[in-house]
Amino acid sequence: MIQINNLSFSFATTEIFNDLNFSVTRGEILSIVGPNGCGKSTLLRLLRGSLKAQSGEILWEKIPVGQISSREMARKVAVVPQSSTIQFPYKVRELVAMGRYPHRKNLLSFQDKTDLREIEQALVMTDLLPLAERLITQLSGGELQRVLVARALAQNSSVLFLDEATSHLDIDHRFELTELLVRLNQEEQKTIIQISHDLDLAAAISQRILLLTEHGKIADIGSAKKVMTAANLQRIFRVDVKVESNPFTGTPQIVPLINTSTHQLTGLNIHLICGGGSGTTLMRRLHLAKASVTVGPLNRGDSDEAVATALNMPVAQEIPFSPFSKSTLRAAEQLVEQTDILVITTQWWGAGNLACLDLAVTAIKRGIPVYLLAQHQKQDYTDGKAWGKIQQLQQQGGKSIRNEEHLLDELSHQTT
Amino acid sequence: MNKQQKTNLRKLGQLFLLLSPLLAISISLSAGSLELSWNKLFTILLHGSGKEIEEVIIWQIRLPRALLAGLVGAALSLSGVTFQAVLRNPLADPYLLGVSGGAALGAVAALTWGFQSPIIIPLAAFVGALTALLLVYLVAQAHTCSSHTLILSGVMVGSLAAALLLFLLWQAPADATRQAIFWLAGNLSLADPDWLSWGWLWVAIGFLLLWSQSLNLDLLTQGEETAADLGLHVGRTRLILFALAGALTACAVALAGLVGFVGLVIPHICRLLWGPGHRLLLPFSALLGSSFLIIADAIARSLYAPAEIPVGVVTAVLGAPFFLYLLRRKGGNL
Repeated sequence: MIQINNLSFSFATTEIFNDLNFSVTRGEILSIVGPNGCGKSTLLRLLRGSLKAQSGEILWEKIPVGQISSREMARKVAVVPQSSTIQFPYKVRELVAMGRYPHRKNLLSFQDKTDLREIEQALVMTDLLPLAERLITQLSGGELQRVLVARALAQNSSVLFLDEATSHLDIDHRFELTELLVRLNQEEQKTIIQISHDLDLAAAISQRILLLTEHGKIADIGSAKKVMTAANLQRIFRVDVKVESNPFTGTPQIVPLINTSTHQLTGLNIHLICGGGSGTTLMRRLHLAKASVTVGPLNRGDSDEAVATALNMPVAQEIPFSPFSKSTLRAAEQLVEQTDILVITTQWWGAGNLACLDLAVTAIKRGIPVYLLAQHQKQDYTDGKAWGKIQQLQQQGGKSIRNEEHLLDELSHQTT
Repeated sequence: MNKQQKTNLRKLGQLFLLLSPLLAISISLSAGSLELSWNKLFTILLHGSGKEIEEVIIWQIRLPRALLAGLVGAALSLSGVTFQAVLRNPLADPYLLGVSGGAALGAVAALTWGFQSPIIIPLAAFVGALTALLLVYLVAQAHTCSSHTLILSGVMVGSLAAALLLFLLWQAPADATRQAIFWLAGNLSLADPDWLSWGWLWVAIGFLLLWSQSLNLDLLTQGEETAADLGLHVGRTRLILFALAGALTACAVALAGLVGFVGLVIPHICRLLWGPGHRLLLPFSALLGSSFLIIADAIARSLYAPAEIPVGVVTAVLGAPFFLYLLRRKGGNL
């Protein structure tokens, strides 16, 4: 029904989409999921032609979106926006009536019998009849959200776009609305494209799920079972989850693995070799666990440097954007000499920070345990020199560790 | 008070509103330094225009003046409603987008360059107002014409016009300056009666065209994106509405100078009383705006008769407390 071919779009200098291809089938529920800022809302705007793509094409039943007039488009698609600020005190019924705008025959009002019936039905379907005469400025966020859904229903379009339409709703109305969507889909064959943050609900009702990466690429598209995998979610949202099958419906269900274990590292001296934000999470965790942390070498202005300084950790500091000098490395070495444990979280290796690995090699010779956090050969920009040293460290007893959580577990075992 | 009583009260209020311009005009006709009994007044009105002094005063001085006040009040209220809806800003008034500055500059330029003719000055003000509006629109259009850009460029064009205006006043001879200040404060003593019928025609056409845009105005209050989602051609509609509101303001300013307050407060009062739907809001605002200004003018003329206080003083003194009362009672849902 909607065909998206080689779509590219940028806001000023920020590229949102590059060469996007997918299609929407008539009568399906398609959920778009992805991290904040990946362009989900922008995608909806592009689909209905509110934004113009720089290249590529969007076809509605083979007609380019640019050739469809705005009124015609409003009869095809109704949009339920994220939320809107309402300043003018219209009555609920008046606001819902605005959904009849693309069908109006009269310049001044919607008095047609069909109009009135559609408005009334939209109010009933969204459980708003008791509120019909209230002013929208007096409604709660969730009630307002339902009014916006009702307005979209009054539009009586064959396609419905929802941009996080359930985000402000209580659980009862969220389920009611979700059920309504399923009914509209099954009984009226409405095509529904929704942006959702409720992955479980999306998985439960969608025929297909479109998972976007944070750079606006399609990470995966297909059935919930295919897309909602722990690996996909780990890759896109960087969360540890377990995906189980809902015992009642069989749809994928996400079980968050939020770690509630506690770590006490009081008295443990840890030195951190990090940079570019790779050490931030660990520094926060170590700070909470009351470990004594030293850091460096780091360039001033590095995001890790800012965090370390804010958390009052001693840092071997170098001037901004410069390779580490002998004196800075010496200062770092002194910090390493006094530590119990050395952790390397740096992810990218280049000529500028290669010397840090020598610090680790020296430390391991002295018998200081060295931990290496998630290292990859791909992130070596020193023609293999860095990777060689990392392998050397591993041979001499340096331990590779998957993530911060595992490291803290390991360290707390050591202290007890 | 139950629902039925409430609806009845509302109907009564609307009926009163429909008749209010007539009432206002009768009050205005009886006000002034020449005392006239109501009896006498109606006899003169029924008898038609004549040669007697009372007849001349009523038919050729007071009635045109009341009609002018009504025209200006209606035009300013209509354009206030439109600007507030299109800019989604409760503080918008007809003068926000540089219209006043442009008109003032035009009129004062004509005055200081020695055109005293009652034909030229309104024309100059009119052209000035429309030029300013066009300038604002062209500047804002370069940046997709969002309401923030429009307001900002309006304020800037207004400041520029004000600066040029001050320069002209500084340069001008003393009597021209005096005249200019009189004009700037708003002045309902009509320069040329021929303008009155043209003005009314202009306002009537403007009203009908605006009224045909009622639903579009309703949609625009929901924000550009929602309006577009509902199928409104936002850019084109907004251009039409600006042109209409600008033309109405320009007409009012050209005929009566800068009468303040009406365009800001009448739309709010009507919205508080009868809701924001533009199908009713536009005609009600026009009615209330004209009655309000007719009565304000009658008060301005009679309070210190035969001297006149500026009508802007009366509109503010009458309007502001009433508005504050409504605001307090209705809880600030503008």
